[in-house]
Amino acid sequence: MDKEGEIIVKDFISILEELTFNSRPIITTLTKIAEENIPYAQHFADALEARIDRCPPKQKLYALYALDSICKNAGSPYTIYFSRNLFNLYKKTYLLVDNATRTKMIHLFKTWMDSGDSLAGAPLLFERSALEKIEQFLIKASALHQKNLQSMLPTPTVPLLSREIDKLTALTTERLKNQPMDEKLKMKLVVLTQLKEELHREKLAPGALKQLQLQLRQIFAQDQQVLQDIQRQQQHEMAMLQQKQQHQQQLQNENQSVPSKNASFIPLFGDSSASSGISGLFGSSMNTVGPNLTGLDKNYQLSKIQNLYDSLQAEGLLYNPPKESIVSLYSKLGGHNHLSSGAMDYQQGVNLPPLPLLQGILSDCKAHFATVNIDILNTPNLQLSQQTIQDDNPVVGSSLIHLLYRAKPNKCNICGKRFGNSIGEKKSQADHLDWHFRINKRIKGSEMTANASGSVTGTTQKNIQSRNWYLQDSQWISFKEEESVSTTFSLSTDGTAHKVTTANLEDQTQYSSTAAADKGDQETAKFTIDESILLKKHVIVPESAVDMSFQCPICKENVTGLYDEELGEWVWKNAMEVNNKYFHATCYYEAARNNDNPLGLQLDLEKLKHLVSE
Amino acid sequence: MKTLWLTTYTFNWSRGSVHWLAMESLPGINDLNQPLTGVGGDDEYHRLSILQGSEWNIEISSETRLTIRVISGIAEIFGTELAIGKEYNFRNYKFGVYAVEDVELEWRCPELTGETLSISPNSTAKLVYNLHFALEKMRSSSFDGPRVMIVGETNSGRTTLSRTLCSYGIKFKSYQPMYVNLDPQQAIFSPPGCVTAIPISDILDVQCSTWGQSMTSGATALHSKQPVVKNYGLERLSENKQLYLDVVEQLATSVNGRLMNDSLVRRSGLVIDIPAISELDEDNNDLEYFAKQFKVNVAVLVGISDNQKIDAIAKKLVPLVGNHIVNLPRISGSVKPEDAFKRSLQRGAIREYFYGTPDTVLSPYAVGVGFEDVTVYRPKNVLEDTQEVPTQLLPVQVNPSNLQHALVAISYADRKAAPEVIQKAPILGFALITEVNDKRNKLRILLPVPGALPNKSMILTSYRYLE
Repeated sequence: MDKEGEIIVKDFISILEELTFNSRPIITTLTKIAEENIPYAQHFADALEARIDRCPPKQKLYALYALDSICKNAGSPYTIYFSRNLFNLYKKTYLLVDNATRTKMIHLFKTWMDSGDSLAGAPLLFERSALEKIEQFLIKASALHQKNLQSMLPTPTVPLLSREIDKLTALTTERLKNQPMDEKLKMKLVVLTQLKEELHREKLAPGALKQLQLQLRQIFAQDQQVLQDIQRQQQHEMAMLQQKQQHQQQLQNENQSVPSKNASFIPLFGDSSASSGISGLFGSSMNTVGPNLTGLDKNYQLSKIQNLYDSLQAEGLLYNPPKESIVSLYSKLGGHNHLSSGAMDYQQGVNLPPLPLLQGILSDCKAHFATVNIDILNTPNLQLSQQTIQDDNPVVGSSLIHLLYRAKPNKCNICGKRFGNSIGEKKSQADHLDWHFRINKRIKGSEMTANASGSVTGTTQKNIQSRNWYLQDSQWISFKEEESVSTTFSLSTDGTAHKVTTANLEDQTQYSSTAAADKGDQETAKFTIDESILLKKHVIVPESAVDMSFQCPICKENVTGLYDEELGEWVWKNAMEVNNKYFHATCYYEAARNNDNPLGLQLDLEKLKHLVSE
Repeated sequence: MKTLWLTTYTFNWSRGSVHWLAMESLPGINDLNQPLTGVGGDDEYHRLSILQGSEWNIEISSETRLTIRVISGIAEIFGTELAIGKEYNFRNYKFGVYAVEDVELEWRCPELTGETLSISPNSTAKLVYNLHFALEKMRSSSFDGPRVMIVGETNSGRTTLSRTLCSYGIKFKSYQPMYVNLDPQQAIFSPPGCVTAIPISDILDVQCSTWGQSMTSGATALHSKQPVVKNYGLERLSENKQLYLDVVEQLATSVNGRLMNDSLVRRSGLVIDIPAISELDEDNNDLEYFAKQFKVNVAVLVGISDNQKIDAIAKKLVPLVGNHIVNLPRISGSVKPEDAFKRSLQRGAIREYFYGTPDTVLSPYAVGVGFEDVTVYRPKNVLEDTQEVPTQLLPVQVNPSNLQHALVAISYADRKAAPEVIQKAPILGFALITEVNDKRNKLRILLPVPGALPNKSMILTSYRYLE
């Protein structure tokens, strides 16, 4: 393979690795690359097979979709390459994925079979032998699945079966209403009634009961299917649609609680069309079933919501909760095992996390998906002009706005600042919280000493502070905001690199009428360095120190020890020792400079300079 | 804590707002003069829901305090989002709590009960979002970000819009838009009487009309900001327009220098909040001057309804900003700056400069000096000083009538420096002359920073502050 080829194949593989969700753009890109670079088809096929084989089960389907797209668009030679290993690949994948994905895989497989049938005489997408093997495998697998299902059915009892017969009766009555002339249905009703009577009269063997149960389930499923088909047909007709809405309204009047809960919950998933479909479907059957069969209604409703839930999960729109999550916590608390009923039971006082919290989580998810592929630079209609500012811009309203809020789902509890989920953002959030913690500790310290009304015996590090002088223009111009907003700077150096103190003030002679500007600059530089060196001066706390603190004889402030991790010692920062006395380095320096000697102390500037230069 | 529910309210879903029907206060415990320990019946938490897109507009006098605690939802004040469960305290402030999503909150304030809370849909939020994302696109597509000048009448929401744009600007990416305040009557990150520029590098303090703290020597609850401050010292622009324009030019020089030096701020751009157009000249030459000084490339007009005026402004600005000129209606929730309120904000800003806020208590430092230790100038006021003088600064005699309770700016310039030098020098900070003793020739001066009085020239401002 030449160099260019290597690059293309590498590209292909790296794009493939991004296929961690069902993304049409990625699949399209992959297809295009495959189509345009037929010479490397073998490499692409190998890469794709490896991907399907190795990627996490959840992502396998998307890789399969990519395979499907490439074969359907580019055709040969991909179809030939893939046919070789298709059965093994399909089987292995099928066995690893969950049920919802399996259904998707079966759908996919069907399209492969159909592509031959629909165009009479046209060849199948893949080699017939491979497809037949898959078909055989699927038949076996689903039979096995059926068996599992049977074993999961509850042990049949007379009341249980009689309830199932009731449901079936209700369903049949419903169908009969639509097709009043259907003799078969009438017969069925009669048989069902008889069956129920039989059931109550005689004691049947458990085996027979089981058999009966299976049969009932099968009929039930068929009837349900038929009913759904009818409903779906109806939905296509406008007139029926209106009627449906009326039904819905009636339903709302009759049974206020059910639809309102539906409405408040389902739209959170951002799938309102599905929810209206459900209540429509459910609504019309409910009217006819009547109040006696609420059990059936509930089953119906739950199964519909379950379906919605399953399909959302299949689309990757739902987050599967880990062990320690609210949802699993809730199921442990004895609720139903799916989210939808949880929201309904909330009102009944089950001990659930508050609804706003759950809503918040769902809104976060929604915001994430609304912004996942957003790039402001490539978003149209953001050119600044009267028109774009004035008009409703759907991109701003539905996607971009989330960038300001929930796209960063982690909100600081102390200041409201938001952080995202990337590793970098997590790190800055941790730093940010550490910073709050440190700052709060210092602020608390200041409150304690303030309450002690003047006494300075407290050992907490104090936060007595004052406004700083403003910077000179030249300092401000070169000021880096990092100095004030960094959360990782050590406390003692917070913004001090640029601090104007009264100590170095006198030396900033740039604006004095006597000193030349050049000299002024020089001195400013020199003394700024002095200042920062002074602040770095420290004394290791001597063993003899009481309370680990000393009082600066000049400013009378108590200095407490801080632990210096680098030295592994407790130190007094900004401190120096002169003739067995301890001073703030900056105080000493200031006092020495001003020859201000209120304490009769021997203040020796030369000595200070010597100390500093050590 | 016991929560007493005193309020009844109904929702009007169709209009998206909340109407308060009845709010009865408990009798007998409505006394503001009660000792602080007695939390009166009215000083209890009340619950309030604000529907998405609506805004609760609040006016709080300096006599009382409002506490707000958000329970759920996304609420923001001038574009800054509120944390959940944190108590925010407000005093002497007019502002709006905007519900980005449905908001549940609790509030308590003895003064607000018995009145109707004003909650109304915010009609301009959409426009502000559109504008923000247009600016965001400019930031992402060029190293030279948008330099937005906000032009409007008083009460049109210029500062509300500026603050919101700055707040939004730091949310998604770590931009640091620079806020430039050219209106000396408003005090933002400084006492009044100045023009200032501040890179907004972190979240603003929603509780502060001054937007937050400028640098202090210790720990502040939020990151403090580093402004550059130029003192004008007079109140109205008309008192010395020449000096004002000069001060603006000095600020622009610093701002442009910073932009050259700081690529992040340059990319983030400027938000320039200028005085109300009624304060500026009729021919819009001032607008053109600002736009040129700060190399403005976006002009936003707010709340100007006179089409002739709009055309005249556009004519001046289009050569500079091209088609980047937009016209917005008055911003919802903007604050009406009545004179008394403006004064109280100015007063608050002076107090805050020296003493900080309840969250960040500062310790200023009082020194006693002799009359001979200070050199004070004042800016020429053309309305009063009719005689010809060559300089903008005039010497001030040290006596009680001139200096008592006065706010003075301390210049970086030496005491012996010539007035021309002083006028161009940066500002070290402000001091408050708390006492002028004629008999003993002594002054007491409150300094923000502990230490001796800097041996520098001072410039008297028009502002007086009585503690």
